[in-house]
Amino acid sequence: MANENNNKSPYRAYLFVFFSVSLLILSAWVIWNDEFGLRPWKHYQKEYKSLKHDQLVNDYKKAQLEFHRSGGAKRLADLKAQLSKAEEALKSKGVGEKYTQLSNKLDELQKQASDNQKKLQTVRGKYLETEYFFTKTQKPEYKKQMDELQLQIDAIDKQGKELQAKQEPVSQSMSQLAGNIPAIKAEIEQLNKILEDKKEKIANNETAPIEIKQFLIKDIDKADRCVSCHVGIDSPKQPSTKQPYTKHPLMSVYLGHHDPGKFGCTFCHRGQGRATTTVEKAHGKAKYWDEPLLKGDMTQTSCLNCHGDIKNLRGAESITKNTELIRKYGCYSCHKIPGYEGMGDVGPELTQVGTKVNYTWAVDWLLDPKKYFSTARMPKFYFTQDQAEAIADYLFSMSGSERKDVDIAAVKNDPKLVEQGKVLWSQARCNLCHATGGRGGDHSKVYAPDLSKVGSKVNKTWLFNWIKDPNKYFPGTKMPRFRFTDQEISALVDYIANEYQDDEAESKYATPQTIQAESIKKGKDLVQQYGCYGCHKMRGMEMVQVAPSLKAQGVTFLRSDEMREKIGTELSSIGSKPLELLDFGKLKKSIPNDRLSYIKQKLRDPRGFRLGLRMPNFRLSEKEVNELSAVLYGFTDSNAPVRFMVPSRQELDKMAGVQGYKFTGDFAKVIADVKCTNCHTIKGIGADYAPDLTLAGSKLQESWIRNFLANPDMIRPLLQQMPKLGLSQAKNPVKVTMPKFNLGKQKVEDTNRSDVDVVVNYFQQELVTTDIPKNIPVIADVAMPEQIAQGKKLYDDKGCIACHQIGTDGGAVGPNLSNVGNRLLPGFIFKHLENSRKFKSDIVEPNYGFTERERVLLTNFLMTLKLSAK
Amino acid sequence: MNDLFNKVKKNLIWKSVFRRDYRDNVRDRALAIFGNVFLHLHPVKVRESAVKLRYTWGMGGITFLAFIILTITGVVLMFYYHPTVDQAYSDMKDLEFQVPYGVITRNLHRWGAHFMVIVVMIHMFRVFMTGSYKAPRQFNWGIGVILLVLTFLLSFTGYLLPWDQLGFWAITVGTNMGAATPLLGYQGPFSEYLHITPYNDVRFALLGGAIVGGNALLRSYIWHCIAIPLIATILMVVHFWRVRKDGGISRPQNN
Repeated sequence: MANENNNKSPYRAYLFVFFSVSLLILSAWVIWNDEFGLRPWKHYQKEYKSLKHDQLVNDYKKAQLEFHRSGGAKRLADLKAQLSKAEEALKSKGVGEKYTQLSNKLDELQKQASDNQKKLQTVRGKYLETEYFFTKTQKPEYKKQMDELQLQIDAIDKQGKELQAKQEPVSQSMSQLAGNIPAIKAEIEQLNKILEDKKEKIANNETAPIEIKQFLIKDIDKADRCVSCHVGIDSPKQPSTKQPYTKHPLMSVYLGHHDPGKFGCTFCHRGQGRATTTVEKAHGKAKYWDEPLLKGDMTQTSCLNCHGDIKNLRGAESITKNTELIRKYGCYSCHKIPGYEGMGDVGPELTQVGTKVNYTWAVDWLLDPKKYFSTARMPKFYFTQDQAEAIADYLFSMSGSERKDVDIAAVKNDPKLVEQGKVLWSQARCNLCHATGGRGGDHSKVYAPDLSKVGSKVNKTWLFNWIKDPNKYFPGTKMPRFRFTDQEISALVDYIANEYQDDEAESKYATPQTIQAESIKKGKDLVQQYGCYGCHKMRGMEMVQVAPSLKAQGVTFLRSDEMREKIGTELSSIGSKPLELLDFGKLKKSIPNDRLSYIKQKLRDPRGFRLGLRMPNFRLSEKEVNELSAVLYGFTDSNAPVRFMVPSRQELDKMAGVQGYKFTGDFAKVIADVKCTNCHTIKGIGADYAPDLTLAGSKLQESWIRNFLANPDMIRPLLQQMPKLGLSQAKNPVKVTMPKFNLGKQKVEDTNRSDVDVVVNYFQQELVTTDIPKNIPVIADVAMPEQIAQGKKLYDDKGCIACHQIGTDGGAVGPNLSNVGNRLLPGFIFKHLENSRKFKSDIVEPNYGFTERERVLLTNFLMTLKLSAK
Repeated sequence: MNDLFNKVKKNLIWKSVFRRDYRDNVRDRALAIFGNVFLHLHPVKVRESAVKLRYTWGMGGITFLAFIILTITGVVLMFYYHPTVDQAYSDMKDLEFQVPYGVITRNLHRWGAHFMVIVVMIHMFRVFMTGSYKAPRQFNWGIGVILLVLTFLLSFTGYLLPWDQLGFWAITVGTNMGAATPLLGYQGPFSEYLHITPYNDVRFALLGGAIVGGNALLRSYIWHCIAIPLIATILMVVHFWRVRKDGGISRPQNN
């Protein structure tokens, strides 16, 4: 029996006590942990509340001081005294009492009347009911009752009217006496409110509950509890600049356009929105959570989730800048990236490369492009000497059968031509795009090659043909065709060959050597294996038409030699690729196992993960690695709902069936030749290196255009002086002028119009807007000289001189106006003065709100500012 | 004090529950057992030698304790869980981050489940080593084996419910093994004679489809929360009853 072995072993009792106490402590810990240990946000919210309290109390105190200082307190005391005086007066006359008496009587009568009304209704109801049920047998007593009641009501009504008539004079005299009591009361209330509001805010803050706060968005499956700690993220007046109490940076842009109630936080910032127990978990730094928090500029990578066009998107400056790298290195040549289809080739066509470069140079270039010039974009493929030679053999075999170099020592350059070429070189502003030994190359977005050693790379014959017509060798090149004469080209070629030599260059094959057939085959295999055709067109590896059946399967184009789209992995969702699908290989232990680290490492050392990888090394700087990885990280299949999507202009046009703008007629030929859009934007096409020409026809005078195209560097001194206001790096004012393209010397093909005529004609026909009138209104009542004088006065009064320069006076923020009368059309000036941002949104000019008359006067004055053409 | 005592004990409610006073004598002790459904399942007598830890290890009782803990925590978890593809995983996350005492409830359930599987196996090992499966306890051994399988099935079906990668792939592998069942699985031998395809085999029955999806989740949920616990409870009742009927808890032979 159980009680037989009672207390046989006392140690059992101790054991029992021990376990009981342990369980008790454990239970206590569980309760404590659940209340505080697992709810760190409670602490943050309390802290925030106390900070907010301090801020509000401070505000209140300030307001109080201000209230006293501005005489509010005194006014309040005054008002109170007035009020009590007025009330006193009212009481002393006894009018109030009388009024109350009458009112009470009236109320009583009203009550009686309504009681009777109710009774009447009940009786009438009964009366109607009996009528309804027993149509014939109406009860006469009901009828009688009703009549009686009606009589009573009428009597009361009469009484009431009499009373009201009595009351009227009383109330009139009362309101006379009361006079401004309501007004005083209202003002007192208003004055009190100033401080009361602040007090209420403090009280509200005091009673605000400490609770989990969250944004719940069903359709993207988000429950973002970030605001449980980041309490003040959307309050414009932050009580502290310390995390997690600060407000969101650039709130009006980010939160203003993306209501957190609809977007949540983690849609852009990633991290684990549901987590509340530790900072690490919430910020997604926990194991098995693949989406660590994005902070700072890195968050802009999420703009790519929804925005089709991030150019000019406020708040996406960093990511916009970074996407340029994809264009620079042509990632889309080997990888499928949505939005980068049909971008054109990054490298030149290579079919005829044997006629262009020296064999030795080609091999050296294949071995290490950066050895030739440090800004080379072509990556390093880690070819061996044999492999490089095989590829060069294959490339040279397409245009010949020999390995050959120009014997540099034997090249002779005519010193006279060299001298002439030097002048042409600077007139054509070759250095604007091409760097030579660290100088020039300011227009970096065209990625023109460095020419400092070009004399040992290409032969003179090719260079002559190239300058004569670049499109012939490389259709789609950015190199413009300058309208040089053959003699001028010879001079330029001699100058280049003479000036830009590589002293260390060898010419191993000055005596040509026949190429071996097996080497060609080996080279072709290598070209296919490493996908050189991704960036360079070459014969035998062109794109071929895709059959409709394949197109239906999503195949967009094929190389003839292999049935595959692009050599590299598709990157359309690299930023959300499951971690298991990323092969860390032998670096599994040495780098953090997350997606971003993988992307960065891949960019740093593309073949480092394991043997057999083919991606070449672009030798990006660490800065470029960070920038590019930020872009790649943004390529996700985010499953954003359609309502988030902001398609790009092009996509919208495509959906609406609108064709993108295309240049037409002879002007298209000029553009294809001179490549105006390398620098200028015209109707949304082109770069932002030089002024936008979309409205040039409405803006510029014909004679000025003609003069400028003939002599770009003479007439337009204004850009030379204009610093870029620190909008870009504040360099010393660079002499940026347009190259001299020698337009007007030649006729456009198939026509007998000179190209200047074509350009001017197109400007005037196409690049115009009806918003800008041809003529400005005429002021008839004042003589012209008087108008000009008035305009000059306005110019001086409004302080235009602070920014604009006329002659030698004035600031350099705005354009120089010394020659504006020759340059701009009056209609443009007139409209520009009305609203300067209308035609160029990023302009800094303030809006002065001129009247029409003032604008006419100013325009007339400005049109007189002309420099005599030299 | 006495009044209060009388008031509590001398009324209909008390009497309807306890029937009679309890005096510590043999008759009343026996009556207490007769009148109590739970004690009906319990052996009338437990010998001292039988409660010695080093013989039985107390494993059967501990298993039952684990089962009770799992039932209670499981019911609590059911209040916060939707067996749907959209919500299952976030519900689990909410249990971790949001629900009061969610972490301890879920962890008790999870670790309790591991504990029960281990303990039930040790229980079986002990029964085997002490030869307690021999006559007259053969039938109860059989019931025990079925209960062991049910414990494993509870574990298996519960694995999918968090709807995470671990559970998803575990169930994928597990049910694919089912596909290799002879006759009944579409990959198993002889299944072609029964015209078994991936759409009518035993795997399909387990998943409610050909892949691990919403139906599989719902099936797991129903099996885990209703069907298997119900069957296991009935079998446990039988198991305990048979312990009593087969001569009480087994104990050293020569005692």
